[in-house]
Amino acid sequence: MNIDYVATALALLTVFGISALMALSLNLEYGVAGVPNFGQAMFVSIGAYTAGVTYTRLLPWLGGRAGLDPCGDTLTKALALRTELTTLFPTVGFLNFGLTVLIALLLGGLAGYLASYAALRVWEEWYLGLILLVGSEVVRILAQGYPPLLCGSNGLSGIGQPFVWVHNATWSAALFALLALLLAGAAYLLCERLVRSPYGRLLKAIRENDRVTLGLGKPVQRRRAQVMAIGSAIAALSGVLFAVNLGFVSTNDYTVALTLDVWVMVVLGGVGNGRGALLGALIVTVLNRLTAIAAIALNAMGSQFEFNYVRYILFAAILLLMLRYRRQGLLPERARTTIAHDELRP
Amino acid sequence: MPASVVFDSLVRSIQVGSLYALMALGLTLTLAVVRLPNFAHAELITVGGYVALLSSLWLTHSLFVILGLAFIGSALVAWLMHRAVYRPLARRNLSTYGMLLASFSVGLILRYIIFLLVDRYGLFDKHIAVPVEIWYRTPDVILTNLFFWSVPTAVALMIVLSLVLRGTSLGRQMRALADNGILARVTGIPVDQVHDLTWLVVGGLAGVGGALWGMYTSLNPLTGWLTILSVFAASVLGGMTSFTGTILGAYVVSFSENLLMQWLNFRFGLDFTFKAAVPFVIIILVLLLRPAGLTGFAGSLRKLSRR
Repeated sequence: MNIDYVATALALLTVFGISALMALSLNLEYGVAGVPNFGQAMFVSIGAYTAGVTYTRLLPWLGGRAGLDPCGDTLTKALALRTELTTLFPTVGFLNFGLTVLIALLLGGLAGYLASYAALRVWEEWYLGLILLVGSEVVRILAQGYPPLLCGSNGLSGIGQPFVWVHNATWSAALFALLALLLAGAAYLLCERLVRSPYGRLLKAIRENDRVTLGLGKPVQRRRAQVMAIGSAIAALSGVLFAVNLGFVSTNDYTVALTLDVWVMVVLGGVGNGRGALLGALIVTVLNRLTAIAAIALNAMGSQFEFNYVRYILFAAILLLMLRYRRQGLLPERARTTIAHDELRP
Repeated sequence: MPASVVFDSLVRSIQVGSLYALMALGLTLTLAVVRLPNFAHAELITVGGYVALLSSLWLTHSLFVILGLAFIGSALVAWLMHRAVYRPLARRNLSTYGMLLASFSVGLILRYIIFLLVDRYGLFDKHIAVPVEIWYRTPDVILTNLFFWSVPTAVALMIVLSLVLRGTSLGRQMRALADNGILARVTGIPVDQVHDLTWLVVGGLAGVGGALWGMYTSLNPLTGWLTILSVFAASVLGGMTSFTGTILGAYVVSFSENLLMQWLNFRFGLDFTFKAAVPFVIIILVLLLRPAGLTGFAGSLRKLSRR
């Protein structure tokens, strides 16, 4: 088997950056604030669908050639136009990508906030998990059943990443990988700053015991809603990158399986620890790639074995084993002591 | 709407509602007695369906034997799930979120093991091989033997279960556990034994539900996962603890999915794709507006006020 090592490494780095964004978002929501977001796939998909809509509506408009229906008879024409605009006009592509990211951040944040309104007002703690898990499946089905959004179950192709205009494929991939890693790094720093601030300590207090925190007069519901808005915005950002990295948006990519991947990252890496989330993202990325390679190799040997099924079993088993034997994850959350205010004075 | 369409979806509502009720009763029992939101309940349904399919292909066409085997098969899987995963985790004081995640993982493992086997032996979209006969026919509606089997079976099982819960010592112990777990333990109720039996009953009911479902439509490894949403909706309508509420809820969900959906389609042209959203809307509305469910705490297994 011939493997292009540079291309593989770049692809891995890109996927790692995107996964890291997802893991950081869930870690902020579940690990730090204790909100069990079982609808991660939905918030990621919001970013991806945003990309689908902007690449078919906003991009032609920015390029001065609006009004072509992306589905139906003009499908191939619209696809050719998208590709032409992203490959020949870097400024238009960049502007479109930037606007996509902005819109996705806003929509993701809004969705997180709205979801928290419904979900945090329920009785028992796990209802929230049920609502989000179920909600993400329903959103997916509705998006599939509403053809103007993504051409129904066909999906949209030609959602090029912002550096497709670079002629050298390696350089183009490298620039995109760099962008993904930079965004992941920025999200990591943001999360770390947030967690170490008084705001973050309040979030941890809510996670440990929301009634006591409420009793101390803290706005528990509002903080939870805010953290869900922030986390979902990050998830939507990862969704944009996910879509442009694939070059394709389809509702089939945002199933419960994606949610499972993100949960494995956080539970494996370390709940409540940003570095743990990064480690988890790295392990899951590598495992995903390895299982894909193994699947191709096995198929080449003529095996009748569907390896994708084994991947799900493997990931679910990892989750169970972690819950049983090492609940705090590979990199446990460290207790942070904050120096008393008096000692900080010179 | 034309009369034939009305009757057709009425029949479907009743049939599907009875099966939902069977599946949801098990879920309500786990929620009330074991206090676990078991997402792997979906796979118990699928397992029951496939056990029934295999026994109908290899062994017999007798309905009672098939249903019995489905009951036993799913009951064993449920018991294994409890012993191998849930009990060890609960003993280590895992949080509810953790248990939710664990049940989700168990469900995934089971689902994809079924996928592997089904893929290997080519068992996708199979019907359970029982002879279908038409027992009742008018110009508007045709009723097959499946209807006359599945609805009474479901109703009979519901009656048996409610008699067990009300009359036997096992039922009393289950209700005691549902009411107050710690108090029940202190009073000397053999908690482990009651949990074991509860899981057997829960699995069995889901298995029979799955088997009847597989006769009514076709089976694939996602059967359980696709019905679990409606089943959860039924349980939520029952306030997650009420027996009568759950049965009522199952029929409400089924009628809204079939008859109401048909009417909305006829009247407003709503596409049938949106049928999948019906249980979700029900769940959201109930949790927000009336978390105690349809019957409130009147028929609750856990007669307590909030928390």
